[in-house]
Amino acid sequence: MNYQHQGLASGKWVNLSLPEQMANIGSEVERKIIWKNKKNTSYGQKAMERALELLSFTIADRKNRNRLKELTRLREVLIDYFFGQNQYSSSDRLWQKYFYAFTYFSRINIGNS
Amino acid sequence: MHDKSFTSAVCYNKPDFKTQFFSLNMQIIKKKTHVVEFKKMAQKMFGNMVKAVVDTDKKIMAVNGELHADEEALLLENNSKQENLWGINIYPGAKGDDWIEFDSMINIRPSMNNLSRGIDNMNIRKKIIKVVNQLVKK
Repeated sequence: MNYQHQGLASGKWVNLSLPEQMANIGSEVERKIIWKNKKNTSYGQKAMERALELLSFTIADRKNRNRLKELTRLREVLIDYFFGQNQYSSSDRLWQKYFYAFTYFSRINIGNS
Repeated sequence: MHDKSFTSAVCYNKPDFKTQFFSLNMQIIKKKTHVVEFKKMAQKMFGNMVKAVVDTDKKIMAVNGELHADEEALLLENNSKQENLWGINIYPGAKGDDWIEFDSMINIRPSMNNLSRGIDNMNIRKKIIKVVNQLVKK
């Protein structure tokens, strides 16, 4: 496989908690939204490729096997929104809100020590 | 040789083999480095983008990690302070303001009232731009 995140693909990704994994996926989705709105198709495409790669690592992570329905649905609805017909009526704002919760949770105690 | 301005991250890596192997390219930039080097880094990993964490106090930045969190950890291990670290993305091939993107999950820091992946404080943004412009020769 020709991964963009080679170190993460080799096993490092599983050391992150699920919220951290989702936050990192969200960062790439956020970038996809930014570049989509700037009409930069190429940069947006690359961001989405990274997001889907990280999501595939997350789905493959055995500790998340009880969350698979959420994760596989997430993949379907993401692809539907960014590459399909948006039959689930997603929006940029919806995706930003969805991932923001994970990012906030991941970082809530940073800098408090 | 632009590579002379890099500080190798190898000695700061955790002992785990996989982590060490794939963190070899993560570097701390302390001196002016040509944008061509950033283009090479981008091509080798994400195609168009280099992740970076800037220390606005030390005026250095960690680059070429797979995650901003890895670069953040590298700088913390090198005595940077959390409150001075901010995640950005550098697009060496982009024009105008688009070449620096203020977007990283590490920027969410409720204790400093930064509640977004961006950087809400314009003074901090200006500091980051200044550091990046000092370190990247275009």
